[in-house]
Amino acid sequence: MSTMKTTRDVKGVGVSIPRPDGPEKVTGRVQYVADIQPKGLLHAKLLRSPHAHAKIVSIDVSAAKALPGVRAVLTAKDIPHLKKKAPTRAHAVLAIDRAVFMGQPVAAVAADELSIAEEALDLIKVEYQVLPASIDPLKSMQPGAPPVADAGTEADTSEALAHSAVAIAKSAAPAKAVNISQQARLQRGDPAKGFAESDHVLEKTYRVPMVHQGYLEAHAVLAEWDRNGLLTLWASTQGSFNTRSEVADVLGIPENRIRVIPVECGGGFGGKIRALCEPITAVLAQVTKRPVRYVMTRREELQAGMPAPQVIIKLKTGVKRDGTLMALDAETIIDSGAFSGAVLAVSAVFLGSMYKWPSFDIRGFEVLTHKPSVAAYRAPVAPQTIFAIESHMEQIARDLDLDSVEFRMRHLIQEGDPMVNGQPWQSNGAKQVLARIAEHPHWKSRKQWAAAAGKNGRRRGVGLALGGWLGGLQPTGATVRLNPDGSLAVLTGQVDIAGTNISLAQIAASAYGVDTDLVRITTGDTDVAPMTGLSAGSKTIYTVGAAVLQAAEDARRQTFEIAAAELEASVHDLELTDGKITVRGMPDKGITLATIGKKGNLYMSKTPPVLGKANPAFTQQAPGFAAQLARLEVDPDTGEVTIQDFVTVQDVGKAINPLGVEGQMQGGAVQSLGIALTEGLMFDDSGRLTNPSLLDYRKLTAADLPNLETIIVEVPSPAGPFGARGVGEPPIIPAPAAIANAIQNATGARLTELPLSPERIALALANGKH
Amino acid sequence: MAKQILRCTVNGEPVEVLVQPYVTLLDALREDMGLTGPKEGCGTGDCGACTVHVDGKVVASCLMLAMQARGRTIRTIEGLASADSTLHPLQDAFVRHGVPQCGFCIPGVLMAAAALLEENPRPSEEEIRYGIAGNLCRCTGYTKMVTAISEAAGTLASQRSAR
Amino acid sequence: MRRFDLVLPNSLEDCLKILAERGAQAKLVAGGTDLLPQMKNGVLKPAVVVDLSGIARVRQVQNGNGLRIGAAVTARELELSPALRGAYLAIAESAAMVGSLQVRNLATVGGNLCNAAPSADMAPPLVALEAHAVIAGPKGERRVPMADFFTGVRQTVLAPNEMLIELIVPPPGAHSGGQYLRHTPRRELDIAVVGVASQLTMSDGRCTKARIALASVAPTPVRATAAERSLEGQPVTPDAIERAATLAIEAAKPISDQRGSVEFRKHLVRVLTRRTLTTALARASA
Repeated sequence: MSTMKTTRDVKGVGVSIPRPDGPEKVTGRVQYVADIQPKGLLHAKLLRSPHAHAKIVSIDVSAAKALPGVRAVLTAKDIPHLKKKAPTRAHAVLAIDRAVFMGQPVAAVAADELSIAEEALDLIKVEYQVLPASIDPLKSMQPGAPPVADAGTEADTSEALAHSAVAIAKSAAPAKAVNISQQARLQRGDPAKGFAESDHVLEKTYRVPMVHQGYLEAHAVLAEWDRNGLLTLWASTQGSFNTRSEVADVLGIPENRIRVIPVECGGGFGGKIRALCEPITAVLAQVTKRPVRYVMTRREELQAGMPAPQVIIKLKTGVKRDGTLMALDAETIIDSGAFSGAVLAVSAVFLGSMYKWPSFDIRGFEVLTHKPSVAAYRAPVAPQTIFAIESHMEQIARDLDLDSVEFRMRHLIQEGDPMVNGQPWQSNGAKQVLARIAEHPHWKSRKQWAAAAGKNGRRRGVGLALGGWLGGLQPTGATVRLNPDGSLAVLTGQVDIAGTNISLAQIAASAYGVDTDLVRITTGDTDVAPMTGLSAGSKTIYTVGAAVLQAAEDARRQTFEIAAAELEASVHDLELTDGKITVRGMPDKGITLATIGKKGNLYMSKTPPVLGKANPAFTQQAPGFAAQLARLEVDPDTGEVTIQDFVTVQDVGKAINPLGVEGQMQGGAVQSLGIALTEGLMFDDSGRLTNPSLLDYRKLTAADLPNLETIIVEVPSPAGPFGARGVGEPPIIPAPAAIANAIQNATGARLTELPLSPERIALALANGKH
Repeated sequence: MAKQILRCTVNGEPVEVLVQPYVTLLDALREDMGLTGPKEGCGTGDCGACTVHVDGKVVASCLMLAMQARGRTIRTIEGLASADSTLHPLQDAFVRHGVPQCGFCIPGVLMAAAALLEENPRPSEEEIRYGIAGNLCRCTGYTKMVTAISEAAGTLASQRSAR
Repeated sequence: MRRFDLVLPNSLEDCLKILAERGAQAKLVAGGTDLLPQMKNGVLKPAVVVDLSGIARVRQVQNGNGLRIGAAVTARELELSPALRGAYLAIAESAAMVGSLQVRNLATVGGNLCNAAPSADMAPPLVALEAHAVIAGPKGERRVPMADFFTGVRQTVLAPNEMLIELIVPPPGAHSGGQYLRHTPRRELDIAVVGVASQLTMSDGRCTKARIALASVAPTPVRATAAERSLEGQPVTPDAIERAATLAIEAAKPISDQRGSVEFRKHLVRVLTRRTLTTALARASA
């Protein structure tokens, strides 16, 4: 990428370098929001609706206000600019006259101690009139279902834009049912004719429940106002600029009156993009004139966070006996909870775009229900969609006795093929990762391995699946400064959760021509950093990395221009080696970076300080594909699944920091396995969450898993820094289908509803279906 | 509901601190003693982020009342590195293997791993996995953790034999 | 957590005195692993909490002509106790399954029993081994068979001024073996969908006593008496085990909840009864 060459390789891109803040993280010194304790701190608690749908008849806060130690009790009445028809969860700061999901905030308290705030909640008397609720999305879609949104509320599609940049035309047909908030339809060719000419028609419905992002640090925010009316928010967020905009919009204050400091973020995975508890905490701080901290409990997170949507996909396919694809008919129903905002487009596009269907009719619906509203979760709606397609493709191959890899490979897209929305596929490594996993000894030996007996009568199976992500885009900025000692200071607003800053440092080092240990990356707050996009959508390295690369190149150019003037030589004759710029062939004629840096900060100096900057916007996505393979054993009596081996093959374009890339692949794989095997928010008919704890919402533990194998494939992206592609999303996508396929291989049972729990497996086998 | 005096040993130092009777050990460590290394991930003993040692045993400090720690010896992540702030071999291995991502679970995992290695100096992979099974991690997938713990066990063993 | 008074008695007598005065509004805390989550969630709001950690008497395990287990002995201590080997192994097995290590180092057998969750892991083996609960109150001590200790979901025979102080496990005799198994979707950090403890005492190739106790299939732990009767006096053949496993389903009156359906729970009773009886037989014969 870099136009000017150094004479030796710098310790930069492509090297596994541990993150420099590692020692802070392993000693417990890193501070998260809940670790910050300013003087005079107050603690906030929210009273939440015990009903999924209820009219709020009256609220009496007098007893709560009278409790010593209570500093503020707020209801919607106390926040005059709150309006009905809230377009997002963030705007619905407190319920005005109607609660639309169980757990929706109804009143807020700030008190000297958390215990006192809790007691104050007990003293608030709310009279509810319980209303009929729409809980099941299929029922909620029907005309006459109890309405969720206030009439006239606009659908929210900003998440889709932030995440995937998937463009599809919105359906022109108006929604008939009151709770259908978005619709999409994509058609090509004549599916009816395609089905008529098919030898094999397969129809199945796939179901995936709401799942929670599961970050270990619950939502947390600390708010304080100064005497000039400037609001500072210490936030656990995936994007401080996004948080600032949302809070400004909700509270109706200018963005330049808000400073968002992105504190160390204890995991987000899409769940900490949108504002949630920041606005109400800011109002409590304003009313009390004290710093106020709000930390959600885990129970609140599970009951009233912003999980991934429930997805129901009806798939019907028609193929010829030889496996020729003929027609696809698909319907995807996304339960968005009480507010619109699901990324319907991703599901609709991926349903028909991964394999080359000559004719299709794909319909998508976003449905509102009286449940917590949803948000992004790592590759939003892709694991759910790929579960359907990749289960289905495997079943077709099995039914027609085709090799499942060859069958996929024959129909798999490549660069230039049209997606269902008509846009061409960008360069991608779909075929390469599928080919690579098919070469794996676990795949080649699958028949022998599965035929051997497992321990204690357990049955063995091997399965694989392929999945992909289009790659997110967002404009972003970065600066690179040369310090007086010749080191580099890089500034972005990028929230570093997984260790991306070390990769950005490697990019800056390689682009500028110094070793990585001379580069320090700073994540600035919204007052000081250039506008920077979200840490989301697999786009940090692809976009912020590109900005850092360009800024470093800019800084290098400036440095070389200063050196050229000092050395009275042409820029083109200069080279940078070991911190010194010399004229090529004249090693004694040179100037160190430290000298140039110092000159930029000398009293009366005529040398400008080196300040590289870049603020690119992007148009070209870089899809990332991953294939995953599982070898597992099933206890046919209890339905317990033991994963013996799990392999992820992923095209990352270029592994800037292989250590970090592996961490992403392994972490994504385990989240994917959780969706496959154990996770799911379970609501009863009244809209009550029945598993609001980490005992019953089962994330996988170390004891449930084997060591995870990772294989990195590098198919360079045309536009990414050093050819890099986004890494975060692809590894969460294929596992549910891979596990379902392996379970079928082991037991003969084709399961179509996640999670693939012991109960579902054992009962399918016990009931003699297989 | 007057505050009570909690006397105990924390990270090798005798401590005397006034605590409310209704706070947990985790709250007392974090809010009253300034030791914010232990984290609250769930508050109900289901995630392990609050793991500390009490009399050498790992406990969920979110489930223990502060006053129940009277007279006992507590070790938190802040007390794992040596006094000259040299990282414990476990911490060193976690850094080099790139284990921490968001980092929120890490103090708890390290305390669980440290207790495991004190009880079982050369654990198998399975023993390591069960040793940290009470600690949920959402970022890493555990693989690098297991590798790092196994390597640190070897480092500690060679340090012992060198002595 | 909402505020409360905390009392730290140093003797059983002091503790009983507090219970006599404020028992109706008090909760005893030993490990706290069941109590504190319920207090944090606002399900329980006691005005007084009485900490048992200063009372030595409730923290001991004694072995000799049966077992005496103090109510505040932790699950981890039971899991590792050399006294809980041989015929008593099922108790150690059940203790080893509670929560996670961080929880087992706090959780106590008395807490597990007094919390009286239908899923309590340590109840079935104690029922199967015919243990007695020793209960202290203002009028002295009384003994209640473990099978009669539970009266409903989160309800026991304990009066507000009483406390469980000890469990007495009678010696099960030579050639007795047992096992506790439970089903959970995860290997650690989970709660029983169904738990089964089986204890078999053998003599001359025949079963002289069979005890099968089930968890998580009724409001309280229950014995599968029909299954027990089908085994007693008989050789324990694979067919006999299969028959008993099927009969055990009759004792199960489960509900469908987030952890499992009625159908799955009944299925598991059969599977786990079969498996525990098979192991119990091998252990009794060893």
